[in-house]
Amino acid sequence: MSTSRTAPSMRDALYEAPGPRMRRKIRVGTAVAGALVLLAVAAIVRQFWVTGQLAPRYWSLFLQWTTWRFLGQGLLGTVAVALAAGAIALVLGLALMLGRTSGVRPLAAVCRVVTDFFRGVPSLLLIYFFFFVPAQLGMKLPSFWMLTLPVALAASGVLAEVFRAGVNAVPRGQVEAGLSIGLSSAKVMRRIVLPQAVRYVIPSLIAQLVVVVKDTTVAYVVSYPDLMQNARVLITSYDALVSMYLVIAVIYILINYAINRASVYVANRTGVKIIR
Amino acid sequence: MGLSELLSTYGEKYLQGLLATWSMTAVSFVFVMALAVLVTVARVSPLRPLRVAGDLYVQVFRNIPGVALLIIIAYALPDLRIVLDWRTCVIVTTVLLGSAFGSENFMSGINTIGVGQIEAARSLGLSFTQIIRRIVIPQALRTTVLPMTNLLIAVMLTTALGSQVPLNPQELTGVVSYVNTRATGGILAFLISALCYAGTAFVISLVGNRIDRRVRILR
Repeated sequence: MSTSRTAPSMRDALYEAPGPRMRRKIRVGTAVAGALVLLAVAAIVRQFWVTGQLAPRYWSLFLQWTTWRFLGQGLLGTVAVALAAGAIALVLGLALMLGRTSGVRPLAAVCRVVTDFFRGVPSLLLIYFFFFVPAQLGMKLPSFWMLTLPVALAASGVLAEVFRAGVNAVPRGQVEAGLSIGLSSAKVMRRIVLPQAVRYVIPSLIAQLVVVVKDTTVAYVVSYPDLMQNARVLITSYDALVSMYLVIAVIYILINYAINRASVYVANRTGVKIIR
Repeated sequence: MGLSELLSTYGEKYLQGLLATWSMTAVSFVFVMALAVLVTVARVSPLRPLRVAGDLYVQVFRNIPGVALLIIIAYALPDLRIVLDWRTCVIVTTVLLGSAFGSENFMSGINTIGVGQIEAARSLGLSFTQIIRRIVIPQALRTTVLPMTNLLIAVMLTTALGSQVPLNPQELTGVVSYVNTRATGGILAFLISALCYAGTAFVISLVGNRIDRRVRILR
């Protein structure tokens, strides 16, 4: 596994070492492509300029400490929901997987249906569910849970499948060996299969956190103060819509990029593949 | 509100919603595939600027939350004098997001082929286009059937973002929130839409699995 990192990538292997004529062609192509990319960037900047979106009044708010503090509070809200939802999804996903692989027919069937249901339903629909239905039944749910629960449920379906892939990755012979020395199947699961399966899926679990973070962005539906919701508040008070949404998008991209990198890092360190 | 009452009052809305979700999913997926191919070609091309641009494209749209992208396209672009109608906004959002994941699927499909095969093909005297046409594309396509099936389902789920803009006709998620702001729809109102989604996803993955079993390469 460690050799795969030093081996030439597939991208480069596709091409033979170029000769002088090809090198010239590649140089010209690179120049043209570079110019095209620059042209596209220039066109975008020009559009901003023409429409007056580069005016200081749209961007000066980012020089103020209060803006960043308010966004920071929103980010804390996002992190709180993401971590809570992630933790709940972890437990639920594990439970669903254990139920599905338990060998008890009705339980396995129920867990399978639940898993497929949460995987096949958009998280927005679940969020609307927790927004409308508890209120209609006369329950008062804090906005934190209106957001955390649906995000957790949506993620639990996916995590159940990730865990199952991890369990399947443990060689079958180990289970047979465990059973043949007289361990109960529950004990085989707990002592032999799960510890290895969890290790296999850690990078995938980290990668799934990206999905959770993305799902929390619709917090404004339940008016929970997350990063996006706080940005919307700032937009109405500063009237800086384009600049604010762009900055927020970049923040989200960077957070998720960091999570993805972390997942790849752990995967490389432990030499396991990321299951999606 | 009982099921019969719900269906008699809003049945048509749900049906329209289902059709809207299906049609947006289908249209989006066609463009997702086309754009994913383009981006992947850029990423495997020998031209560095294209590679960098393609990689950046994938990183950006893989990591941006769908709602954030939709809001930018629907509400920020008009300030830059780019005005799209609501349905197009949703489709463009889905296509941008989906194509990034599609390109990732293609890339991992290409990566599973292995450098050795390319070297073998070259030593047999195959030209670059022959290698691409005979070795890379057939294998990459076969191994991406299952990931692309999952992507199709993901694209369908992404069209639920349509509930965040005033679509007409609304899609399944928008219909539910429409029903619930007018009446006490209860759990049932959600279950109808949810079953439409889950049912569609079920059929898609059934078909996808069947195709995959046909064309899969056993390694």
